[in-house]
Amino acid sequence: MRANSSARRTSHLWLLLATALMILPLVWMVLTSLKTPQQIASTPYGWWPSPFRWENYREAVTAIPFARYLANSLLLCIGSVVGTLFSCSLVAYGFTRLHWPGRDWMFAVLIATMLLPWQVTMVPRFLIIRELGLYDSLGALILPKFFAEAFYVFLLRQFFLTVPQEMVDAARVDGCGEMGVLWRVMLPLARPALATVALLEFVATWNDYGGPLLYLNDPDKFPLAYGLEQFVSAHSSEMHLLLAAAVLFTLPIVLLFFVAQRTFVRGISTTGLKG
Amino acid sequence: MHRRRLITGLLMVSPWLTGFLVLTVYPFLAALYWSFCSYDLLSEPQWVGLRNYRRLLSELVEGGTFAQALTNTAYFAIGSVLLSVVFGVALAVMLSWEVRGRAVYRTLCYLPSVVPTVAAAVLWIWLLDPQQGLVNAALETVNVPPQGWFQSTSAAALPSAWPEDHGGRIFGSKDGLLLMSLWGVGNLLVIYLAAIADIPEQLYEAAELDGAGRLRQFFHVTLPMLTPVIFFNVVMGLIQSVQAFTQIYIVSDGQGDPAGSTLTLSLHLFLSAFKDLDMGYASAMAWVLFLVVMLVTVWLFRTSRHWVHV
Repeated sequence: MRANSSARRTSHLWLLLATALMILPLVWMVLTSLKTPQQIASTPYGWWPSPFRWENYREAVTAIPFARYLANSLLLCIGSVVGTLFSCSLVAYGFTRLHWPGRDWMFAVLIATMLLPWQVTMVPRFLIIRELGLYDSLGALILPKFFAEAFYVFLLRQFFLTVPQEMVDAARVDGCGEMGVLWRVMLPLARPALATVALLEFVATWNDYGGPLLYLNDPDKFPLAYGLEQFVSAHSSEMHLLLAAAVLFTLPIVLLFFVAQRTFVRGISTTGLKG
Repeated sequence: MHRRRLITGLLMVSPWLTGFLVLTVYPFLAALYWSFCSYDLLSEPQWVGLRNYRRLLSELVEGGTFAQALTNTAYFAIGSVLLSVVFGVALAVMLSWEVRGRAVYRTLCYLPSVVPTVAAAVLWIWLLDPQQGLVNAALETVNVPPQGWFQSTSAAALPSAWPEDHGGRIFGSKDGLLLMSLWGVGNLLVIYLAAIADIPEQLYEAAELDGAGRLRQFFHVTLPMLTPVIFFNVVMGLIQSVQAFTQIYIVSDGQGDPAGSTLTLSLHLFLSAFKDLDMGYASAMAWVLFLVVMLVTVWLFRTSRHWVHV
Protein backbone atom coordinates (compact mmCIF):
# COMPACT_ATOMS: atom_id res chain seq x y z
CA MET A 1 0.00 0.00 0.00
CA ARG A 2 1.54 3.31 -1.03
CA ALA A 3 1.07 5.71 1.81
CA ASN A 4 2.47 8.82 3.40
CA SER A 5 4.56 8.74 6.53
CA SER A 6 1.75 9.22 9.05
CA ALA A 7 -0.21 6.35 7.51
CA ARG A 8 2.95 4.27 7.57
CA ARG A 9 3.36 5.00 11.27
CA THR A 10 -0.20 3.89 11.93
CA SER A 11 0.47 0.69 10.02
CA HIS A 12 3.51 -0.03 12.14
CA LEU A 13 1.54 0.68 15.28
CA TRP A 14 -1.14 -1.85 14.38
CA LEU A 15 1.42 -4.44 13.33
CA LEU A 16 3.42 -3.94 16.51
CA LEU A 17 0.32 -4.36 18.63
CA ALA A 18 -0.80 -7.54 16.85
CA THR A 19 2.69 -9.06 16.82
CA ALA A 20 3.19 -8.24 20.48
CA LEU A 21 -0.04 -10.02 21.39
CA MET A 22 1.06 -13.11 19.47
CA ILE A 23 4.59 -13.22 20.79
CA LEU A 24 4.18 -12.10 24.43
CA PRO A 25 2.95 -15.52 25.62
CA LEU A 26 6.20 -17.07 24.37
CA VAL A 27 8.33 -14.36 25.95
CA TRP A 28 6.44 -14.80 29.20
CA MET A 29 6.94 -18.57 29.02
CA VAL A 30 10.71 -18.27 28.66
CA LEU A 31 11.07 -15.57 31.33
CA THR A 32 8.83 -17.34 33.84
CA SER A 33 10.73 -20.59 33.32
CA LEU A 34 13.76 -18.78 34.75
CA LYS A 35 12.12 -17.39 37.88
CA THR A 36 12.36 -18.67 41.43
CA PRO A 37 9.22 -20.18 42.96
CA GLN A 38 9.34 -17.37 45.53
CA GLN A 39 9.16 -14.72 42.85
CA ILE A 40 6.23 -16.47 41.15
CA ALA A 41 4.39 -16.71 44.47
CA SER A 42 4.73 -12.99 45.20
CA THR A 43 2.27 -10.57 43.61
CA PRO A 44 2.82 -8.78 41.37
CA TYR A 45 5.78 -10.85 40.32
CA GLY A 46 6.95 -8.76 37.39
CA TRP A 47 8.25 -9.81 34.00
CA TRP A 48 11.95 -9.96 34.61
CA PRO A 49 13.42 -12.90 36.57
CA SER A 50 15.37 -11.72 39.60
CA PRO A 51 17.46 -13.66 40.16
CA PHE A 52 17.70 -15.86 37.10
CA ARG A 53 17.30 -19.46 38.22
CA TRP A 54 18.92 -21.65 35.57
CA GLU A 55 18.62 -24.65 37.90
CA ASN A 56 14.96 -24.84 36.85
CA TYR A 57 16.16 -26.43 33.64
CA ARG A 58 18.43 -28.92 35.37
CA GLU A 59 15.65 -29.84 37.77
CA ALA A 60 13.08 -30.20 35.00
CA VAL A 61 15.39 -32.54 33.11
CA THR A 62 16.26 -34.66 36.13
CA ALA A 63 12.69 -34.83 37.48
CA ILE A 64 11.72 -37.01 34.51
CA PRO A 65 13.78 -39.59 32.58
CA PHE A 66 14.40 -36.91 29.99
CA ALA A 67 17.09 -38.75 28.01
CA ARG A 68 14.94 -41.85 27.67
CA TYR A 69 11.86 -39.87 26.57
CA LEU A 70 14.01 -37.98 24.11
CA ALA A 71 15.42 -41.22 22.69
CA ASN A 72 11.89 -42.61 22.32
CA SER A 73 10.73 -39.43 20.60
CA LEU A 74 13.62 -39.53 18.15
CA LEU A 75 13.08 -43.23 17.45
CA LEU A 76 9.42 -42.56 16.73
CA CYS A 77 10.23 -39.57 14.55
CA ILE A 78 12.83 -41.43 12.50
CA GLY A 79 10.62 -44.48 12.01
CA SER A 80 7.63 -42.34 11.05
CA VAL A 81 9.59 -40.18 8.61
CA VAL A 82 11.10 -43.24 6.92
CA GLY A 83 7.72 -44.97 6.67
CA THR A 84 6.00 -41.85 5.38
CA LEU A 85 8.61 -40.99 2.76
CA PHE A 86 8.77 -44.55 1.49
CA SER A 87 5.05 -45.20 1.24
CA CYS A 88 3.89 -41.76 0.17
CA SER A 89 6.38 -41.30 -2.66
CA LEU A 90 5.50 -44.72 -4.05
CA VAL A 91 1.78 -44.08 -3.82
CA ALA A 92 1.97 -40.51 -5.10
CA TYR A 93 3.85 -41.74 -8.16
CA GLY A 94 1.27 -44.45 -8.75
CA PHE A 95 -1.39 -41.73 -8.73
CA THR A 96 0.52 -39.30 -10.96
CA ARG A 97 2.57 -40.66 -13.83
CA LEU A 98 1.08 -44.07 -14.25
CA HIS A 99 -2.11 -44.51 -16.22
CA TRP A 100 -4.24 -47.39 -15.07
CA PRO A 101 -7.99 -47.97 -15.08
CA GLY A 102 -9.71 -46.77 -11.94
CA ARG A 103 -6.85 -44.49 -10.92
CA ASP A 104 -8.70 -41.21 -10.75
CA TRP A 105 -11.65 -42.76 -9.04
CA MET A 106 -9.37 -44.27 -6.41
CA PHE A 107 -7.58 -40.97 -5.93
CA ALA A 108 -10.93 -39.33 -5.19
CA VAL A 109 -11.47 -41.96 -2.50
CA LEU A 110 -8.06 -41.15 -1.04
CA ILE A 111 -8.97 -37.46 -0.88
CA ALA A 112 -12.31 -38.29 0.73
CA THR A 113 -10.57 -40.19 3.55
CA MET A 114 -9.03 -36.89 4.64
CA LEU A 115 -12.50 -35.78 5.72
CA LEU A 116 -13.11 -38.86 7.88
CA PRO A 117 -12.81 -37.99 11.61
CA TRP A 118 -10.19 -40.23 13.25
CA GLN A 119 -12.58 -41.02 16.09
CA VAL A 120 -14.76 -43.06 13.73
CA THR A 121 -12.09 -45.69 13.19
CA MET A 122 -10.33 -45.29 16.54
CA VAL A 123 -11.74 -48.29 18.42
CA PRO A 124 -11.41 -51.01 15.73
CA ARG A 125 -7.97 -49.68 14.80
CA PHE A 126 -6.92 -50.03 18.40
CA LEU A 127 -8.09 -53.64 18.44
CA ILE A 128 -6.26 -54.45 15.18
CA ILE A 129 -3.02 -53.03 16.55
CA ARG A 130 -3.54 -55.03 19.73
CA GLU A 131 -4.23 -58.22 17.72
CA LEU A 132 -0.94 -57.65 15.90
CA GLY A 133 0.78 -57.76 19.28
CA LEU A 134 1.92 -54.16 18.95
CA TYR A 135 0.10 -52.69 21.95
CA ASP A 136 2.53 -50.94 24.28
CA SER A 137 5.33 -50.84 21.72
CA LEU A 138 6.65 -48.03 19.56
CA GLY A 139 5.72 -50.20 16.57
CA ALA A 140 2.06 -49.44 17.23
CA LEU A 141 2.78 -45.81 16.34
CA ILE A 142 5.28 -46.42 13.53
CA LEU A 143 3.61 -49.22 11.55
CA PRO A 144 0.58 -47.15 10.39
CA LYS A 145 3.00 -44.63 8.86
CA PHE A 146 3.99 -47.22 6.27
CA PHE A 147 0.48 -47.07 4.79
CA ALA A 148 0.79 -43.67 3.11
CA GLU A 149 -1.17 -40.84 4.72
CA ALA A 150 -3.55 -39.16 2.30
CA PHE A 151 -2.41 -35.60 3.05
CA TYR A 152 1.23 -36.30 2.13
CA VAL A 153 0.26 -38.29 -0.96
CA PHE A 154 -1.74 -35.26 -2.07
CA LEU A 155 1.17 -32.92 -1.39
CA LEU A 156 3.72 -35.06 -3.25
CA ARG A 157 1.35 -35.64 -6.15
CA GLN A 158 0.91 -31.87 -6.57
CA PHE A 159 4.67 -31.68 -6.88
CA PHE A 160 5.13 -34.70 -9.15
CA LEU A 161 2.59 -33.17 -11.55
CA THR A 162 4.97 -30.27 -12.19
CA VAL A 163 7.70 -32.57 -13.50
CA PRO A 164 7.66 -32.34 -17.32
CA GLN A 165 6.25 -35.46 -18.98
CA GLU A 166 9.18 -35.37 -21.46
CA MET A 167 11.62 -36.17 -18.68
CA VAL A 168 9.56 -39.17 -17.65
CA ASP A 169 9.27 -40.34 -21.27
CA ALA A 170 12.99 -39.85 -21.87
CA ALA A 171 13.81 -42.00 -18.86
CA ARG A 172 11.42 -44.67 -20.09
CA VAL A 173 13.04 -44.61 -23.55
CA ASP A 174 16.40 -45.03 -21.85
CA GLY A 175 15.06 -48.28 -20.45
CA CYS A 176 13.95 -47.20 -16.99
CA GLY A 177 11.15 -49.22 -15.40
CA GLU A 178 8.56 -47.36 -13.34
CA MET A 179 10.66 -47.78 -10.21
CA GLY A 180 13.60 -46.43 -12.14
CA VAL A 181 11.65 -43.35 -13.21
CA LEU A 182 10.55 -42.76 -9.63
CA TRP A 183 14.01 -43.29 -8.18
CA ARG A 184 16.14 -41.56 -10.83
CA VAL A 185 13.86 -38.78 -12.10
CA MET A 186 11.02 -38.02 -9.73
CA LEU A 187 12.61 -38.26 -6.33
CA PRO A 188 15.76 -36.22 -7.15
CA LEU A 189 13.55 -33.49 -8.62
CA ALA A 190 11.08 -33.67 -5.76
CA ARG A 191 13.71 -33.21 -3.07
CA PRO A 192 12.16 -29.95 -1.75
CA ALA A 193 8.75 -31.60 -1.52
CA LEU A 194 10.22 -34.65 0.18
CA ALA A 195 11.94 -32.34 2.66
CA THR A 196 8.59 -30.71 3.39
CA VAL A 197 6.92 -34.06 3.97
CA ALA A 198 9.78 -35.26 6.17
CA LEU A 199 9.71 -32.06 8.20
CA LEU A 200 5.94 -32.00 8.68
CA GLU A 201 5.90 -35.66 9.67
CA PHE A 202 8.82 -35.19 12.06
CA VAL A 203 7.06 -32.32 13.79
CA ALA A 204 3.71 -34.13 13.84
CA THR A 205 5.31 -37.18 15.46
CA TRP A 206 7.30 -35.09 17.92
CA ASN A 207 4.05 -33.37 18.96
CA ASP A 208 1.77 -36.41 18.89
CA TYR A 209 0.04 -36.95 22.19
CA GLY A 210 -3.08 -38.96 21.33
CA GLY A 211 -1.11 -41.87 19.83
CA PRO A 212 1.03 -42.55 22.91
CA LEU A 213 -1.98 -41.97 25.16
CA LEU A 214 -3.86 -44.68 23.32
CA TYR A 215 -1.14 -47.23 22.63
CA LEU A 216 1.58 -46.88 25.26
CA ASN A 217 1.42 -47.98 28.86
CA ASP A 218 5.01 -48.65 29.91
CA PRO A 219 6.69 -45.39 31.05
CA ASP A 220 9.98 -46.64 29.59
CA LYS A 221 8.47 -46.22 26.13
CA PHE A 222 6.95 -42.74 26.50
CA PRO A 223 8.02 -40.07 24.05
CA LEU A 224 8.60 -36.52 25.31
CA ALA A 225 5.16 -35.20 24.37
CA TYR A 226 3.48 -37.76 26.58
CA GLY A 227 6.17 -37.88 29.27
CA LEU A 228 5.94 -34.12 29.62
CA GLU A 229 2.25 -34.33 30.36
CA GLN A 230 2.85 -37.03 32.98
CA PHE A 231 5.26 -34.55 34.51
CA VAL A 232 2.53 -31.91 34.44
CA SER A 233 0.21 -34.14 36.45
CA ALA A 234 2.92 -34.88 39.02
CA HIS A 235 4.15 -31.29 39.43
CA SER A 236 1.01 -29.37 38.75
CA SER A 237 1.88 -26.59 41.17
CA GLU A 238 5.48 -25.96 40.14
CA MET A 239 5.01 -23.50 37.33
CA HIS A 240 8.73 -22.69 36.97
CA LEU A 241 9.68 -26.35 36.36
CA LEU A 242 6.71 -27.01 34.11
CA LEU A 243 7.45 -24.07 31.89
CA ALA A 244 11.14 -24.98 31.78
CA ALA A 245 10.19 -28.47 30.58
CA ALA A 246 7.75 -26.98 28.05
CA VAL A 247 10.46 -24.63 26.73
CA LEU A 248 12.89 -27.55 26.31
CA PHE A 249 10.24 -29.51 24.47
CA THR A 250 9.36 -26.59 22.18
CA LEU A 251 12.90 -25.41 21.46
CA PRO A 252 13.87 -28.06 18.86
CA ILE A 253 10.73 -27.33 16.86
CA VAL A 254 11.24 -23.58 16.95
CA LEU A 255 14.88 -24.02 15.89
CA LEU A 256 13.79 -26.32 13.06
CA PHE A 257 11.31 -23.65 12.02
CA PHE A 258 13.95 -20.95 11.85
CA VAL A 259 16.36 -23.19 9.93
CA ALA A 260 13.74 -24.44 7.49
CA GLN A 261 11.08 -21.74 7.36
CA ARG A 262 10.62 -22.09 3.59
CA THR A 263 10.22 -25.84 3.82
CA PHE A 264 7.54 -25.42 6.50
CA VAL A 265 5.57 -22.87 4.57
CA ARG A 266 5.82 -24.80 1.29
CA GLY A 267 3.65 -27.57 2.73
CA ILE A 268 0.85 -25.14 3.43
CA SER A 269 1.11 -23.18 0.21
CA THR A 270 1.27 -26.30 -1.99
CA THR A 271 -1.85 -27.85 -0.56
CA GLY A 272 -3.68 -24.98 1.04
CA LEU A 273 -4.02 -27.19 4.11
CA LYS A 274 -2.30 -27.16 7.43
CA GLY A 275 -0.40 -30.31 8.20
CA MET B 1 -0.96 -54.33 -21.70
CA HIS B 2 -4.07 -52.90 -20.13
CA ARG B 3 -3.92 -55.49 -17.39
CA ARG B 4 -0.24 -55.11 -16.78
CA ARG B 5 -0.70 -51.38 -16.30
CA LEU B 6 -3.47 -52.03 -13.82
CA ILE B 7 -1.29 -54.44 -11.86
CA THR B 8 1.69 -52.05 -11.82
CA GLY B 9 -0.60 -49.25 -10.71
CA LEU B 10 -2.17 -51.27 -7.95
CA LEU B 11 1.25 -52.46 -6.77
CA MET B 12 2.48 -48.88 -6.59
CA VAL B 13 -0.47 -47.67 -4.55
CA SER B 14 -0.64 -50.90 -2.52
CA PRO B 15 0.77 -49.31 0.68
CA TRP B 16 -2.12 -46.91 0.72
CA LEU B 17 -4.64 -49.48 -0.51
CA THR B 18 -3.70 -51.97 2.22
CA GLY B 19 -3.88 -49.33 4.90
CA PHE B 20 -7.15 -48.06 3.49
CA LEU B 21 -8.78 -51.50 3.56
CA VAL B 22 -7.35 -52.70 6.88
CA LEU B 23 -7.13 -49.46 8.88
CA THR B 24 -10.04 -47.48 7.42
CA VAL B 25 -12.71 -49.52 5.64
CA TYR B 26 -12.74 -52.46 8.03
CA PRO B 27 -12.70 -50.23 11.17
CA PHE B 28 -15.37 -48.04 9.60
CA LEU B 29 -17.71 -51.01 9.08
CA ALA B 30 -16.75 -52.70 12.34
CA ALA B 31 -17.66 -49.50 14.19
CA LEU B 32 -21.02 -49.50 12.42
CA TYR B 33 -21.67 -53.11 13.48
CA TRP B 34 -20.52 -52.52 17.07
CA SER B 35 -22.74 -49.48 17.33
CA PHE B 36 -25.59 -52.02 17.43
CA CYS B 37 -23.83 -54.13 20.05
CA SER B 38 -22.99 -54.15 23.69
CA TYR B 39 -19.23 -54.66 23.73
CA ASP B 40 -16.73 -54.25 26.57
CA LEU B 41 -13.60 -55.63 24.83
CA LEU B 42 -13.42 -58.54 27.31
CA SER B 43 -16.34 -60.64 26.07
CA GLU B 44 -17.77 -61.06 22.56
CA PRO B 45 -19.99 -58.28 21.16
CA GLN B 46 -23.70 -58.84 21.90
CA TRP B 47 -26.29 -57.55 19.43
CA VAL B 48 -28.59 -55.06 21.16
CA GLY B 49 -30.24 -53.42 18.15
CA LEU B 50 -30.83 -49.69 18.46
CA ARG B 51 -30.18 -49.48 22.21
CA ASN B 52 -27.01 -47.34 21.93
CA TYR B 53 -28.71 -44.93 19.56
CA ARG B 54 -31.79 -44.74 21.78
CA ARG B 55 -29.52 -43.90 24.68
CA LEU B 56 -27.93 -41.07 22.68
CA LEU B 57 -31.34 -39.77 21.70
CA SER B 58 -32.70 -39.84 25.23
CA GLU B 59 -29.56 -38.11 26.54
CA LEU B 60 -30.01 -35.53 23.84
CA VAL B 61 -33.65 -34.92 24.74
CA GLU B 62 -33.18 -34.94 28.50
CA GLY B 63 -30.00 -32.86 28.43
CA GLY B 64 -27.64 -35.67 29.46
CA THR B 65 -23.93 -36.07 28.86
CA PHE B 66 -24.31 -36.43 25.11
CA ALA B 67 -26.27 -33.18 24.85
CA GLN B 68 -23.60 -31.45 26.90
CA ALA B 69 -20.83 -32.87 24.69
CA LEU B 70 -22.68 -31.76 21.58
CA THR B 71 -23.14 -28.22 22.93
CA ASN B 72 -19.49 -28.00 23.96
CA THR B 73 -18.35 -29.25 20.56
CA ALA B 74 -20.55 -26.79 18.71
CA TYR B 75 -19.37 -23.93 20.93
CA PHE B 76 -15.73 -24.76 20.37
CA ALA B 77 -16.02 -25.54 16.64
CA ILE B 78 -18.17 -22.53 15.67
CA GLY B 79 -16.28 -20.20 18.00
CA SER B 80 -12.81 -21.20 16.83
CA VAL B 81 -13.76 -21.06 13.15
CA LEU B 82 -15.42 -17.64 13.48
CA LEU B 83 -12.48 -16.23 15.42
CA SER B 84 -9.97 -17.70 13.01
CA VAL B 85 -11.74 -16.16 10.01
CA VAL B 86 -12.18 -12.70 11.56
CA PHE B 87 -8.74 -12.42 13.13
CA GLY B 88 -7.02 -14.47 10.43
CA VAL B 89 -8.22 -12.19 7.65
CA ALA B 90 -7.60 -9.01 9.67
CA LEU B 91 -4.08 -10.06 10.59
CA ALA B 92 -3.29 -11.26 7.07
CA VAL B 93 -4.40 -7.93 5.63
CA MET B 94 -2.16 -6.10 8.09
CA LEU B 95 0.76 -8.38 7.27
CA SER B 96 0.28 -7.71 3.57
CA TRP B 97 0.91 -3.98 4.03
CA GLU B 98 4.16 -3.00 2.35
CA VAL B 99 6.07 -1.73 5.35
CA ARG B 100 9.65 -2.17 6.43
CA GLY B 101 10.21 -5.26 8.56
CA ARG B 102 7.21 -7.07 7.11
CA ALA B 103 9.07 -10.40 7.01
CA VAL B 104 9.86 -10.08 10.72
CA TYR B 105 6.23 -9.35 11.61
CA ARG B 106 5.14 -12.33 9.52
CA THR B 107 7.62 -14.72 11.10
CA LEU B 108 6.71 -13.65 14.63
CA CYS B 109 2.97 -13.98 14.00
CA TYR B 110 3.48 -17.45 12.53
CA LEU B 111 5.77 -18.64 15.30
CA PRO B 112 3.09 -19.54 17.90
CA SER B 113 1.53 -22.03 15.50
CA VAL B 114 4.67 -24.18 15.50
CA VAL B 115 4.58 -24.53 19.29
CA PRO B 116 3.63 -28.17 20.04
CA THR B 117 0.07 -28.55 21.29
CA VAL B 118 1.19 -30.13 24.56
CA ALA B 119 3.52 -27.23 25.32
CA ALA B 120 0.91 -24.68 24.24
CA ALA B 121 -1.65 -26.30 26.54
CA VAL B 122 0.73 -26.22 29.51
CA LEU B 123 1.57 -22.60 28.73
CA TRP B 124 -2.05 -21.49 28.43
CA ILE B 125 -3.06 -23.24 31.64
CA TRP B 126 -0.66 -20.84 33.32
CA LEU B 127 -1.35 -17.79 31.17
CA LEU B 128 -5.00 -18.17 32.09
CA ASP B 129 -4.42 -19.06 35.72
CA PRO B 130 -7.02 -16.98 37.60
CA GLN B 131 -4.57 -15.86 40.30
CA GLN B 132 -1.09 -15.91 38.77
CA GLY B 133 -1.79 -15.73 35.04
CA LEU B 134 -0.70 -13.03 32.66
CA VAL B 135 -4.08 -12.62 30.99
CA ASN B 136 -6.01 -11.77 34.14
CA ALA B 137 -3.19 -9.43 35.18
CA ALA B 138 -3.51 -7.66 31.82
CA LEU B 139 -7.30 -7.49 32.13
CA GLU B 140 -6.96 -5.98 35.60
CA THR B 141 -5.03 -3.01 34.20
CA VAL B 142 -8.10 -2.13 32.11
CA ASN B 143 -10.44 -2.74 35.05
CA VAL B 144 -11.88 -6.03 33.86
CA PRO B 145 -12.59 -8.36 36.81
CA PRO B 146 -10.50 -11.54 37.01
CA GLN B 147 -11.94 -14.34 34.89
CA GLY B 148 -12.17 -18.00 35.86
CA TRP B 149 -10.97 -19.46 32.53
CA PHE B 150 -10.09 -23.14 32.86
CA GLN B 151 -11.45 -23.23 36.40
CA SER B 152 -14.90 -21.97 35.51
CA THR B 153 -17.82 -23.60 33.71
CA SER B 154 -18.96 -20.24 32.34
CA ALA B 155 -18.97 -19.45 28.63
CA ALA B 156 -18.95 -15.87 27.43
CA ALA B 157 -21.27 -16.44 24.46
CA LEU B 158 -23.83 -18.42 26.48
CA PRO B 159 -25.52 -16.09 29.01
CA SER B 160 -27.36 -19.10 30.45
CA ALA B 161 -24.00 -20.52 31.59
CA TRP B 162 -22.93 -17.32 33.39
CA PRO B 163 -22.69 -17.62 37.15
CA GLU B 164 -25.30 -15.75 39.18
CA ASP B 165 -24.05 -12.34 40.29
CA HIS B 166 -21.21 -12.80 37.84
CA GLY B 167 -20.11 -9.18 38.07
CA GLY B 168 -18.40 -9.39 34.68
CA ARG B 169 -16.80 -12.77 35.35
CA ILE B 170 -18.11 -14.52 32.26
CA PHE B 171 -15.11 -16.14 30.55
CA GLY B 172 -14.79 -19.84 31.29
CA SER B 173 -13.05 -23.00 30.19
CA LYS B 174 -14.39 -23.08 26.63
CA ASP B 175 -13.35 -19.47 26.07
CA GLY B 176 -9.87 -20.41 27.26
CA LEU B 177 -9.76 -23.11 24.59
CA LEU B 178 -10.90 -20.58 21.97
CA LEU B 179 -8.19 -18.13 22.97
CA MET B 180 -5.65 -20.92 22.67
CA SER B 181 -6.85 -21.93 19.21
CA LEU B 182 -6.78 -18.30 18.10
CA TRP B 183 -3.13 -18.11 19.14
CA GLY B 184 -2.32 -20.83 16.59
CA VAL B 185 -3.87 -18.94 13.67
CA GLY B 186 -0.47 -18.71 11.91
CA ASN B 187 -1.05 -21.60 9.51
CA LEU B 188 -4.11 -19.85 8.13
CA LEU B 189 -2.17 -16.62 7.76
CA VAL B 190 0.06 -18.32 5.22
CA ILE B 191 -2.96 -19.33 3.15
CA TYR B 192 -4.64 -15.92 3.41
CA LEU B 193 -1.41 -14.08 2.62
CA ALA B 194 -0.93 -16.14 -0.53
CA ALA B 195 -4.53 -15.42 -1.56
CA ILE B 196 -4.15 -11.68 -0.91
CA ALA B 197 -0.96 -11.62 -2.99
CA ASP B 198 -2.92 -13.20 -5.86
CA ILE B 199 -5.51 -10.41 -5.99
CA PRO B 200 -4.83 -8.39 -9.18
CA GLU B 201 -3.50 -4.91 -8.47
CA GLN B 202 -5.84 -3.46 -11.14
CA LEU B 203 -8.85 -4.14 -8.93
CA TYR B 204 -7.44 -1.82 -6.27
CA GLU B 205 -6.48 0.77 -8.86
CA ALA B 206 -10.02 0.71 -10.26
CA ALA B 207 -11.48 1.00 -6.77
CA GLU B 208 -9.17 3.91 -5.99
CA LEU B 209 -10.25 5.68 -9.19
CA ASP B 210 -13.83 5.23 -8.06
CA GLY B 211 -12.86 7.00 -4.86
CA ALA B 212 -12.95 4.03 -2.51
CA GLY B 213 -10.91 4.44 0.66
CA ARG B 214 -8.96 1.70 2.40
CA LEU B 215 -11.99 0.37 4.24
CA ARG B 216 -14.22 0.30 1.14
CA GLN B 217 -11.41 -1.38 -0.80
CA PHE B 218 -11.23 -4.06 1.87
CA PHE B 219 -14.97 -4.76 1.83
CA HIS B 220 -15.45 -4.50 -1.92
CA VAL B 221 -12.22 -6.00 -3.26
CA THR B 222 -10.19 -7.93 -0.71
CA LEU B 223 -13.00 -9.67 1.13
CA PRO B 224 -14.96 -10.87 -1.95
CA MET B 225 -11.75 -12.10 -3.55
CA LEU B 226 -10.92 -14.04 -0.39
CA THR B 227 -14.25 -15.82 -0.04
CA PRO B 228 -13.11 -19.05 -1.79
CA VAL B 229 -10.20 -19.35 0.65
CA ILE B 230 -12.43 -18.42 3.58
CA PHE B 231 -14.89 -21.09 2.52
CA PHE B 232 -12.13 -23.66 2.39
CA ASN B 233 -10.95 -22.54 5.82
CA VAL B 234 -14.45 -22.80 7.28
CA VAL B 235 -14.95 -26.35 5.98
CA MET B 236 -11.54 -27.63 7.05
CA GLY B 237 -11.63 -25.65 10.30
CA LEU B 238 -14.96 -27.14 11.33
CA ILE B 239 -13.81 -30.67 10.50
CA GLN B 240 -10.59 -30.18 12.41
CA SER B 241 -12.05 -28.49 15.45
CA VAL B 242 -14.72 -31.17 15.84
CA GLN B 243 -11.86 -33.65 16.09
CA ALA B 244 -9.68 -31.52 18.41
CA PHE B 245 -8.49 -33.65 21.29
CA THR B 246 -5.01 -33.11 22.75
CA GLN B 247 -5.38 -29.58 24.09
CA ILE B 248 -8.87 -30.33 25.42
CA TYR B 249 -7.68 -33.52 27.12
CA ILE B 250 -4.80 -31.71 28.81
CA VAL B 251 -6.56 -28.58 30.05
CA SER B 252 -9.50 -30.64 31.32
CA ASP B 253 -7.45 -33.13 33.36
CA GLY B 254 -8.47 -35.79 30.87
CA GLN B 255 -12.10 -35.74 31.97
CA GLY B 256 -13.75 -32.58 30.70
CA ASP B 257 -13.23 -30.57 33.89
CA PRO B 258 -14.59 -28.41 35.34
CA ALA B 259 -17.97 -30.14 35.58
CA GLY B 260 -18.00 -31.41 32.02
CA SER B 261 -17.68 -27.89 30.57
CA THR B 262 -14.88 -29.03 28.24
CA LEU B 263 -16.28 -32.50 27.57
CA THR B 264 -16.48 -32.40 23.78
CA LEU B 265 -17.71 -35.21 21.57
CA SER B 266 -14.20 -36.38 20.82
CA LEU B 267 -13.28 -36.49 24.52
CA HIS B 268 -16.58 -38.10 25.52
CA LEU B 269 -16.08 -40.72 22.83
CA PHE B 270 -12.54 -41.47 23.98
CA LEU B 271 -13.57 -41.78 27.63
CA SER B 272 -16.60 -43.96 26.82
CA ALA B 273 -14.40 -46.33 24.85
CA PHE B 274 -11.23 -46.52 26.93
CA LYS B 275 -12.35 -45.60 30.43
CA ASP B 276 -15.87 -47.07 30.59
CA LEU B 277 -15.01 -49.80 28.03
CA ASP B 278 -18.40 -49.15 26.44
CA MET B 279 -17.38 -49.76 22.83
CA GLY B 280 -20.95 -50.03 21.55
CA TYR B 281 -21.96 -46.63 22.89
CA ALA B 282 -18.67 -45.10 21.72
CA SER B 283 -19.10 -46.58 18.23
CA ALA B 284 -22.64 -45.23 17.97
CA MET B 285 -21.33 -41.81 18.95
CA ALA B 286 -18.51 -42.13 16.40
CA TRP B 287 -21.09 -42.73 13.69
CA VAL B 288 -23.19 -39.79 14.82
CA LEU B 289 -20.05 -37.66 14.74
CA PHE B 290 -19.33 -38.87 11.23
CA LEU B 291 -22.86 -38.09 10.04
CA VAL B 292 -22.79 -34.65 11.66
CA VAL B 293 -19.48 -33.83 9.95
CA MET B 294 -20.85 -35.02 6.60
CA LEU B 295 -24.11 -33.09 6.95
CA VAL B 296 -22.35 -29.88 7.95
CA THR B 297 -19.94 -30.23 5.04
CA VAL B 298 -22.73 -30.83 2.55
CA TRP B 299 -24.72 -27.92 4.01
CA LEU B 300 -21.73 -25.60 3.73
CA PHE B 301 -21.22 -26.56 0.10
CA ARG B 302 -24.92 -25.97 -0.56
CA THR B 303 -24.91 -22.50 0.96
CA SER B 304 -21.53 -21.60 -0.51
CA ARG B 305 -22.92 -20.35 -3.81
CA HIS B 306 -24.68 -17.53 -1.95
CA TRP B 307 -21.54 -16.07 -0.48
CA VAL B 308 -18.51 -17.53 -2.19
CA HIS B 309 -17.28 -15.36 -5.00
CA VAL B 310 -15.99 -17.38 -7.96
